[in-house]
Amino acid sequence: MNTKLISFKNVTVSFWQNDFGVHSIKDLMKHRKQPFSNKIILNDVTFDVERGACMAILGRNGSGKSTLLRTIAGLIKPIKGQITINGTFAPILAIGAGVELELSGYENINLLLSLYGRYKRNSNTIQDIIAFSELSHEQLSMPVKRYSSGMVARLAFSISIANDADILIIDEVLAVGDKGFQQKCMDKIFGIKAEGKTILFVSHFTEEVMKICNTALLLDKGNLIDSGTAEEICNKYMRLFP
Amino acid sequence: MQNITRIYALSKRNIILRYKNSFAGFLWGFLKPLLYLLIFIIVFSSQVSANNYVLYATSGLVFWFFFSNLTHQSVNSIINSNGIIKSINVPTIFFPLSEAISELFNLVLTLVVFLIAMHWFGLVYSPLLVFVIPAAILFAIFSFGLSLILCSLNVFFRDVGILWTTVQPAIFYLTPIAYNKEMITKNYPWVVYYNPIYYFIELARTILYQNQMPNLSLWGICFGIAGGMFLLGYVIFNGLKNQFISTI
Repeated sequence: MNTKLISFKNVTVSFWQNDFGVHSIKDLMKHRKQPFSNKIILNDVTFDVERGACMAILGRNGSGKSTLLRTIAGLIKPIKGQITINGTFAPILAIGAGVELELSGYENINLLLSLYGRYKRNSNTIQDIIAFSELSHEQLSMPVKRYSSGMVARLAFSISIANDADILIIDEVLAVGDKGFQQKCMDKIFGIKAEGKTILFVSHFTEEVMKICNTALLLDKGNLIDSGTAEEICNKYMRLFP
Repeated sequence: MQNITRIYALSKRNIILRYKNSFAGFLWGFLKPLLYLLIFIIVFSSQVSANNYVLYATSGLVFWFFFSNLTHQSVNSIINSNGIIKSINVPTIFFPLSEAISELFNLVLTLVVFLIAMHWFGLVYSPLLVFVIPAAILFAIFSFGLSLILCSLNVFFRDVGILWTTVQPAIFYLTPIAYNKEMITKNYPWVVYYNPIYYFIELARTILYQNQMPNLSLWGICFGIAGGMFLLGYVIFNGLKNQFISTI
């Protein structure tokens, strides 16, 4: 059995970027040039993640962390390189990810569970989600647009972890919940880790990172500049901001 | 199976979202054609030589609004679902597809009401009416193909969406929906014959209004246009879909 759950080999990801701020046909006519150029977001990234590992991804804002997560989750196709994944994903957990603002909490639970591909829903799953989110019936009946950002995070986190996936991807979500919920999430993350599942974790809180993760990657301007144990990388990361 | 559930969930979302916070809700699906019908009766009924103007106009209107709603909803389908696209690995084509399906559902409801109401206005019930189903499906494939082009281009150039809302009424008035095609074909036959929507309206109207089986060549033309538009849309959508996530 392969212990490597995720394997990236020389992966390069690029986005189309329009240099002139072309957002209308008028601009396009004026410049009469190719409106888009390729911008490299991730450059030649190579790393492996073992099954059951807990890996953090650190880096400045805009260094390509979210892009890396989306590439791992298969949302973005690389232009070069090879990606091998031997597992299933829970969806990327970012603040309010995929939550439809006009729909109520209940409707969102149903929509997202279906989109995750859980077509055999039982009421237990939904009960678990509701219990974990600690949102009241009244709150779950109202449109999510009236929620506070902490409540949205509760809902999104609760739905996401209800998924029985091999890999959990967490993108800076814990910052908005209140103290109690943060603690609950951390406990849950440790629980998931104890089950032997793999966690990819993006956060700017190095204390959390060192508590949860064993290994870490450090990204800078789309380049993987270092990888190693969580402590080493956290220290390196701190040194980026003297 | 998984994917069917996904498309179903998205279509359901579309329907809920469309009528959320509106008082008349689903009724709008009927009120809109009805309002246009009233205007048409006032403006055109004395000008147009049709034995049964109400049935003539309504059969065209029902199908026009299907087309117009479908494309209008789909244009922004990718942009509006950016939250989901950025976090869940769902094939992007499901977003315009679910719009097409929820609009088809709407069409079925409208047609049921139409069939009941139009009986009072001289619609003849016959087994032939069943052929409305393949006609609607062909029109849906055509509309879906066009939506694929519109929604994928709209990701990169928001003009497309605005342009489409602007152009739509023009197409509406250039298509013989409220009036006989002879009113245009006398001077500008190409306006009608190069208009793909004309053929689909004609197809539906032959069945519903004239109560006749459309001839094979009309079926063939509609089949060709629908298939061609779908292929074109699919190729364009597929070519652009990998760049959606970086742009929305």
